[in-house]
Amino acid sequence: MAVGQLGVARAVRLPLRARVRELLDREQLLGPLFVTPALLLLVLLVAYPFAMAIYFALSNAFIGRPSEFVGLRNFIALWQSDAFRQTFQNAFVFTGSAVAAKVVLGTALALLLNEQLWFKRMIRGSVLLPWVIPTALSTLGWWWMFEPLYSVVNWTGTALGLIDPPGPNWLGQKYYAMMAVVTVNVWRGLPFFAITILAGLVAIPRDLYEAAAADGAGAVARFWYITLPLLRPVLAIVVLFSTIFTFSDFNIVYVLTRGGPINSTHLFATLARQIGLESGRIGEGAAISLYLFPVLVFVVWAQLRFVRRQAY
Amino acid sequence: MDCVSRRQFLTTSTAALAGLAVLDRAPALGQAREITYLCWNNFSPGSDKKLAEIGQRFTKDTGIKIRIDHIAHAQQAAKFASEVQSQAGHDLVEMRMHFPWLYEGQLVDVSDLVAELEKKHGAVMSSAKEAAFVKTVWRAAPQYHALFLPNYREDLFKKAGLKVPDTWEDVYTVGKELKKMGHPVGIPISQNYDTISTGSVVLWCYGAMEVDKDGKTVRINSPETAQVVEWYKKVFRDCMEPEVLSWNDASNNQTMQAGKSGWIHNPVSTYIVAKRKKLVTADGINHSRSLTGPAGRHEVDVPRSIGIWKFSKNVEPAKEWIRYLLGKREVYNEYIISGEAFNLPVFANLQDHPVLKTDPKYATLKGEGVHYHIYGWPAPPSDRVQLITNSFILPNMLAKAVTGTPTKEAIAWAEGEMKKIMAG
Repeated sequence: MAVGQLGVARAVRLPLRARVRELLDREQLLGPLFVTPALLLLVLLVAYPFAMAIYFALSNAFIGRPSEFVGLRNFIALWQSDAFRQTFQNAFVFTGSAVAAKVVLGTALALLLNEQLWFKRMIRGSVLLPWVIPTALSTLGWWWMFEPLYSVVNWTGTALGLIDPPGPNWLGQKYYAMMAVVTVNVWRGLPFFAITILAGLVAIPRDLYEAAAADGAGAVARFWYITLPLLRPVLAIVVLFSTIFTFSDFNIVYVLTRGGPINSTHLFATLARQIGLESGRIGEGAAISLYLFPVLVFVVWAQLRFVRRQAY
Repeated sequence: MDCVSRRQFLTTSTAALAGLAVLDRAPALGQAREITYLCWNNFSPGSDKKLAEIGQRFTKDTGIKIRIDHIAHAQQAAKFASEVQSQAGHDLVEMRMHFPWLYEGQLVDVSDLVAELEKKHGAVMSSAKEAAFVKTVWRAAPQYHALFLPNYREDLFKKAGLKVPDTWEDVYTVGKELKKMGHPVGIPISQNYDTISTGSVVLWCYGAMEVDKDGKTVRINSPETAQVVEWYKKVFRDCMEPEVLSWNDASNNQTMQAGKSGWIHNPVSTYIVAKRKKLVTADGINHSRSLTGPAGRHEVDVPRSIGIWKFSKNVEPAKEWIRYLLGKREVYNEYIISGEAFNLPVFANLQDHPVLKTDPKYATLKGEGVHYHIYGWPAPPSDRVQLITNSFILPNMLAKAVTGTPTKEAIAWAEGEMKKIMAG
């Protein structure tokens, strides 16, 4: 009797398994099934917050209070704010100078790392350290180096007779303060540039260099006519990513200067935090965050178009 | 025993689940009676330790579990904003200054609770009331306050035969000598709250203000403000180092503790930390009475209060915690004493508190109080006044002036920025 029941159960299970197997073999079912989790994550973690940010930016939202749609009023009103206009200028100065410095220094570092060096692996690994350490923590270290009471930079400069005591007011004078935040951003972003460019360098066929050398091309000519043109797609991608990350930087300015002195180092993210979270005007804060979105979309479109042209 | 059929089981359990969903909370039997409390990292660390200990006793005595979390004061605003926006988070929050005004619509009315506290300990002092009594309702229960006052190196003053300042003009006089001695005055002029704390007091003492009593009219552009700016200019030039332009809230404490600054304006936390860390400067640090000016004696006060979010599902247990911490005289005393004299009681009958007798250097704190105000005074606290504060307009006006912008231009700039905010 029991054996008979088991036999029936197996008879029921087998067609089900077969049906499931058959379903899983269908591409039109399996494809969406695999894509759905990623799509859900994208919707929940990217699309939803982004849509909310747009909604806030177009409203007079104040934390915890009902809000009304105000159209582009926040974007127009922001332009009348001295602090915002200063921030706008800062963002371009900060990003422009930091990305330019990272391109030059990153390429130089990548060329150096591409050479036959002793302890090559160890050196390549240690170059990544600034990229690996949490930004807030490493910036705190930099703050100690620039902070007037304990500044090791000024102390060393004074001890070596390079600067007159007490030394530059790194975080209290607007040009020095901008220089300080750019320096830390370059220090932090350099490994990303160096390692990515190094990957591009390794991919360049050696025989091109050998042929150029046989034709009498020197080091500069080889770099100019072989290395640089072949690195262009890699450089374009690195610059694209870095421009976006640098424009939206927060940690470095927040820890080092909190936007001071007199708003001279505020970036969009730090000003958005001050207005949106500390003062509760979340609508204005969101508008500050999204101000450059159209510009960045254009930059991304132009860069990707350039990369595609290079590739084909 | 009767057997429950599958159909009966499904019907009963579905009905129970639907009931719970409608109720939106667990039945009383299943409720954990657990509350969460968000505080700042107190500048007097002994206070946080004591709070944890009191929390454990509260659980033992009432059966209500409490989880106490701490964050840095600079992170509080962002944390409050995210909790309110998501309508989830802690049940109770410790609020600084006029945050109860900013989150008025999100906080439970605790007027009944404050009435109980006032019955036990006397009336709440004026600055704490300014901060937590919103329009006609107590939106948070006053907890304690920490006032600013002059901190000076008594040993250096004695050595040089300097008079302890009683007016802001005296600060300039002694400041010149202190700078010559290598111990400059340390008043921050940067985007931080200590700059607002000192800047506001100097404004009030000279009869200047940011916004008028009506809470609408911007009054920063006045001859009194010009006097204040001129005072800052000469103090910056003759009594201080340019480093004050980059200071954060802790910098003035640190320069005095490190033996550099001879005079600062700060709560007693500078001395408390120096004493706790056994720094050589601790013995030399002392405090003096709040300063006066042409418009009288004023001081900035930092009252703190405990609010309960409206989204909390544990309002009653949360009120129990406030009653336990602030309402029980022995617990409140113990809590106040643990913060040394950084946390001072906010109730009239407790002003002559034993904590002031724990160290002769706290004696100056006694009797202060009638002239305490919070940021933005004499304007009533509001979100716009809060925005003026948080936009660092006053610090930036002073920073512009001391770094070369003409006085009139710096004040006109501040007036323009404040008017834009008030206009919404």
